[in-house]
Amino acid sequence: MKNLRFILVLIILTIYNCMYAQKYTTKTGNIKFEATVPSFEEVAGENKTASAVVESSTGDIAVLALMKGFRFKVALMEEHFNENYVESDKYPKATFKGKIEGFDASKLTSEPKAYTITGDLTLHGKTKKVTDSAKISKSGNTITVTGAFEVKPGDFAIEIPSVVSKKVSDKISVTYSFSLIK
Amino acid sequence: MKKKGFILLVVLLVMAGAAAFMYYGYLYKEARNVSSEEADFQIPATKLLADYTANQQQADSTYLNKTIEIKGTVTQITDSVLTVNGQVFCGFDIKPGKHAINKTVTIKGRCIGFDELFGEVKLDQCTIKE
Repeated sequence: MKNLRFILVLIILTIYNCMYAQKYTTKTGNIKFEATVPSFEEVAGENKTASAVVESSTGDIAVLALMKGFRFKVALMEEHFNENYVESDKYPKATFKGKIEGFDASKLTSEPKAYTITGDLTLHGKTKKVTDSAKISKSGNTITVTGAFEVKPGDFAIEIPSVVSKKVSDKISVTYSFSLIK
Repeated sequence: MKKKGFILLVVLLVMAGAAAFMYYGYLYKEARNVSSEEADFQIPATKLLADYTANQQQADSTYLNKTIEIKGTVTQITDSVLTVNGQVFCGFDIKPGKHAINKTVTIKGRCIGFDELFGEVKLDQCTIKE
């Protein structure tokens, strides 16, 4: 009886270990966004502590960025971003849940290859489908995913007051870079 | 004539002062310096984690964006990140010096929220208090 339990625990541990080994993760992913209008002041923020998980067997990808983690060069801009635009007290995080199409970890090389990622981006309490082209490479136990996409503030019910609307682009480009470790 | 010139000078000075105030005091005011702020909470890392696991929204309204000081054991060190008690992620702007794993530390930082992917509370702009 005792032996059986031991074997059972061993099996569960092995399964758990296998499942765990298929995950590539990072807690220090980089996400930048920019909404600069040419000839006006730079409107850009950067988050260096985004979390991301890629399930290598299925190509599922999950990303979580804490809104307070976005840093700006200008303190007042950071304040406005948090208080007036994304309301980070009410909506403290942005999440992305999606899939890398045709992902196969064993076929990755150190040469970046293009993949399409589609999924749902949720921020400011609104969700929108996002599709973008990412470059994925692998060296050793590290998978690097980089890419960019565009969103509109209106898609997430973020209103840009008319006073500053000329200085903030209505197309926001988001770039990201994750080094995920097994 | 002399009096007029004086008044003009005063008006100009006041305007320059107001402009400087607008510029440095409001538009380009200095960013918050978490390391020199007095902590709003001084708690063990376990308490912070317990509060976040019990009720995330409640904990957010208590700790989010606040400067807090946590005491716990270093469980992982990677580059500019120290992990305390396995589940408190402390991001440093300036790389922390050498710190041994299993050492008990007090870290001051700004709470930026809870990360469900890893079940971690995240702090940024951290500094170590000896």
